[in-house]
Amino acid sequence: MRWARRLYRLLLRAYPPTFRERYGADMEDAFVYLLRTKGRFRYGLWVGTLWDVVGGGLSERRRARRGNRNTLGKGGAGSMETWLQDLRYGVRTLVKNPGFTLVAVITIALGIGANSAIFSVVDSVLLEDLPYDEPDRLVTVWAELQTRDVEFFPYSPPELRDLREQTSALEALGGVVTFRQPLTGEGDPVQISTAGVTTNFFDVLGISPQLGRTFVPEDGAPAAAGTPGTAPPTLPNSVILSHGLWQRRFGGDPGVLGRTVDVGGVSSEIVGVMPPDFELWLPPQANVDPRPDLWGAMRLDFDNSPRNNVFITVLGRLRDGASVSQAQAELDGATARFSEQFAIYNTLGYRQRAVPLMVDVTRDVRPVILALLGAVLFVLLIACANVANLLIVRASARERELAVRAAMGGNRVRLFRQLITESLLIGALGGLVGLVIAQLGIEALQAFGPATLPRLATVSLDGTVLLFTVLAATGAALVFGILPAVQASRFELSSVLGERGRGGGGAGAKRLRSAAVVLEVALSLVLLIGTGLMVRSYRALAQSDPGYNPAGLMTFTTNVPFARYPEATQRAAFTMQLLESLRAIPGAEEVGGVFPFPLSGQPFNGRYGTESALEDERNYRQGGYRATVPGYFETMGTRLIAGRTFDEADFNDSLPNVVVDNVLAEKTWPGESAVGKRLLVRPLGPDPVWVDVIGVVAHQRHQTLAADGMETLYFTDRYLGSFGAMTWAIRTGGRPDLLVPQIRRAVASLDPLIPLDDVRDMESRVHEAGGGTRFALVLIGAFGLLALALAAVGLYGVLSYTVRQRTGEFGVRMAFGAEGRSIVRLVLRQGLTLAVAGVAIGIPTALLLTGVMESLLVGVSPTDPVTFVTTAALFVAVACVASLVPALRAVRVDPVVALRED
Amino acid sequence: MEPKTFLPLTPVAFEILLALRNGALHGYAVMQAVNEASPRRVHPGTLYRAVARLVDEGLLAEEGGESEGRRSYAITDLGRRVAAAEAMRVAGQVERAQGIQKSARRPREA
Repeated sequence: MRWARRLYRLLLRAYPPTFRERYGADMEDAFVYLLRTKGRFRYGLWVGTLWDVVGGGLSERRRARRGNRNTLGKGGAGSMETWLQDLRYGVRTLVKNPGFTLVAVITIALGIGANSAIFSVVDSVLLEDLPYDEPDRLVTVWAELQTRDVEFFPYSPPELRDLREQTSALEALGGVVTFRQPLTGEGDPVQISTAGVTTNFFDVLGISPQLGRTFVPEDGAPAAAGTPGTAPPTLPNSVILSHGLWQRRFGGDPGVLGRTVDVGGVSSEIVGVMPPDFELWLPPQANVDPRPDLWGAMRLDFDNSPRNNVFITVLGRLRDGASVSQAQAELDGATARFSEQFAIYNTLGYRQRAVPLMVDVTRDVRPVILALLGAVLFVLLIACANVANLLIVRASARERELAVRAAMGGNRVRLFRQLITESLLIGALGGLVGLVIAQLGIEALQAFGPATLPRLATVSLDGTVLLFTVLAATGAALVFGILPAVQASRFELSSVLGERGRGGGGAGAKRLRSAAVVLEVALSLVLLIGTGLMVRSYRALAQSDPGYNPAGLMTFTTNVPFARYPEATQRAAFTMQLLESLRAIPGAEEVGGVFPFPLSGQPFNGRYGTESALEDERNYRQGGYRATVPGYFETMGTRLIAGRTFDEADFNDSLPNVVVDNVLAEKTWPGESAVGKRLLVRPLGPDPVWVDVIGVVAHQRHQTLAADGMETLYFTDRYLGSFGAMTWAIRTGGRPDLLVPQIRRAVASLDPLIPLDDVRDMESRVHEAGGGTRFALVLIGAFGLLALALAAVGLYGVLSYTVRQRTGEFGVRMAFGAEGRSIVRLVLRQGLTLAVAGVAIGIPTALLLTGVMESLLVGVSPTDPVTFVTTAALFVAVACVASLVPALRAVRVDPVVALRED
Repeated sequence: MEPKTFLPLTPVAFEILLALRNGALHGYAVMQAVNEASPRRVHPGTLYRAVARLVDEGLLAEEGGESEGRRSYAITDLGRRVAAAEAMRVAGQVERAQGIQKSARRPREA
């Protein structure tokens, strides 16, 4: 809202100052009223506003002039008619020089297209309000465990109850958790994404259903039986369908309300349907699916659930007028009370924080997008420098024409206006073509952009982006047009007409052109260094060992419903039977399973410690927990470092054995063998238990490919109580996807109601995990190469022009016996001087700027000397080539021809 | 001055006068009233240019607004008479338009 007002204030400058002083503030208020009532980003509103401001401003200015004709002074310059005349003349000039026009327009269009495409991302992802009621008042609430380096810790039901009671700056607090469950009844069983929410959740967001109702408190009344300890919360029996599921599964039938479906083995009544565009935006650390298929009201027992059963991501709505810092102060108070009541909070380094939802959602992508915005701005500046160069050359070619016009009575101001009008025309054409390029760019972004970029699907060329494009085109036209226009309209009449009309600009024009080239080289060097850093990051990523071998692996997930398999022994039996069936598939070389699976994004963390933790709880550390099925490490190709891995006896007898990774082993027992040691863990109930380390394996990268992540403990799934969800991996020598029909048969023969979920080969999981880095690499790389090409063209242009200008001089030199080599050297030296000057400016600039890329880089520092030196060398080489072509042309000059020309 | 000389009023100007018939309003309230009454969105520029004309012609009086430039507007006697004259003019049009729908729907004869 604030930036929209600021933009409008800027637009109001179209009005004459007297009018603005009188009504400006009121008009801003009126505009804000329109925004409030007519929607913020409607294309029509902005286009209408632009029309209103420009049209109204111009006619108001005309009126003001008519009214005060006497005070305006020297009339003439300024009327509409003159401007139209300039415009007509400008069009004629551009049409007469199609080559120049084409090159200039395409250059500017590339710059503007790149800017508009990236700005459309900035607009949709960083600027546009989240699609909720008064989204500025929404905050996420997180706990932190500082002694264990956990920054995004969710809440337990009793903690949520306490927060609701102890915060008044937050008028409502709701919670959500998403998980996958089977949907059965009415058609084939399918695995769907479900969200469990508190009954007030949709009220917190301010979202109404398309059909039926949202939840009421009764939907969330706790079930009579106690909720199971660490199991995922069972879905209660009032559910709301997403629009997509409603269409897919129920054909959009409005009669679904009141019908029952079976979700995860629990019979549930459909009470509502969500609108089609509803999406849930939370930070990636919440691990919440933005588009669940089905929403259920959680039956939370706020009074009797254990406080260590944390799974709720909490979202709050600030009371009208309350600030985030007020909410934060109340959270700090709540933290203090928690710590007084329960000693455990003291040992965790427990803190809580409230973060505006928008900040939380965009935190991870903001640096990438801003780095890209910087990159395209550079591209546009380089394009401007190139076109400015072209204009200076052309102005000197037109000196006679301009001089004649001046002699015929045009004054300097008129000439200047004429040249600026031409620039604006080029800018406008560039903007139009740029819009086409931007549209193509947006489509490419949406096709290849990473899933981690929130709201990428909503990116489009809307009114805001059009407005931005208009401003960018105008700004660019002024940037590349003003200096050449000043230069060209400042000539001395007599000198031009008196001279022999070859022009070429005086020393001033030459300096200006050199400066433009130096600037281009500097800017494109900065971009190329950015590209180089991304290339090195990508290579580091590709070469890093994730701890598993993705080739030849097929993976899928099964969920055994608690409702039909209430006992852990039943679920464990299913798991072992499935393991046997999968092993029997021809072509299956190894079979294993784990939950949660690497790169699945699902966290599952817990504490571990040694004897020292018995004395002082603060000695516990946080590690990743995994539930495995025997054969897991062998299937994944994870290296066994010491001891042994799990066998079927470990699983079937639920032995208290764990396998740890080398990171944990080295942290806990540096320099010693971990095998045979004991660890204190707390996987199930509130009491810690001892487990024996039987083996050490190589560390697996779990959350991202880019960083090592947390140390890990592997249990058997049986030991953790067989909680039903399992991701299976099958290694084959052939094509992994060929196994899928047999996998389906194997699962269906055991239980036809259990659907396969998330069926993918491992390589596609790894590919997707590298998506964000690849995306940034491709974009920054493309912009870097574009910049390099533009800079090379600019350098080439300047030198060819110089060579042409000095043809006569070269001819004389050669007639007097100068060797070709010395001429080449002369031209080369000029080119290299410019390039080196650019590099000298570019390197310190890059040192200052690459810091913003830090979060994108993997295994390379933002000031990596190798990248800097290589890029600078590459640049000088390109500059050599760009200079050599005109230099060789200079040598080929026939002295006779050259002299005659003069 | 004779109210008739101001006719016809632009639709926006007429709406502004009508919005102020029950007393002075702040600019924001005028914007609100005019937008609610108009079938199409009225942009701030259109509104305030009309306001400026009306003030210049003496149909509206500006009040207050030393601080931050926010003012309120009241209809003058002249404004009231002009609005009434415009209303009469429009009423005449409405009267003449009686039956226009019927005749438009009737099929052409011959």
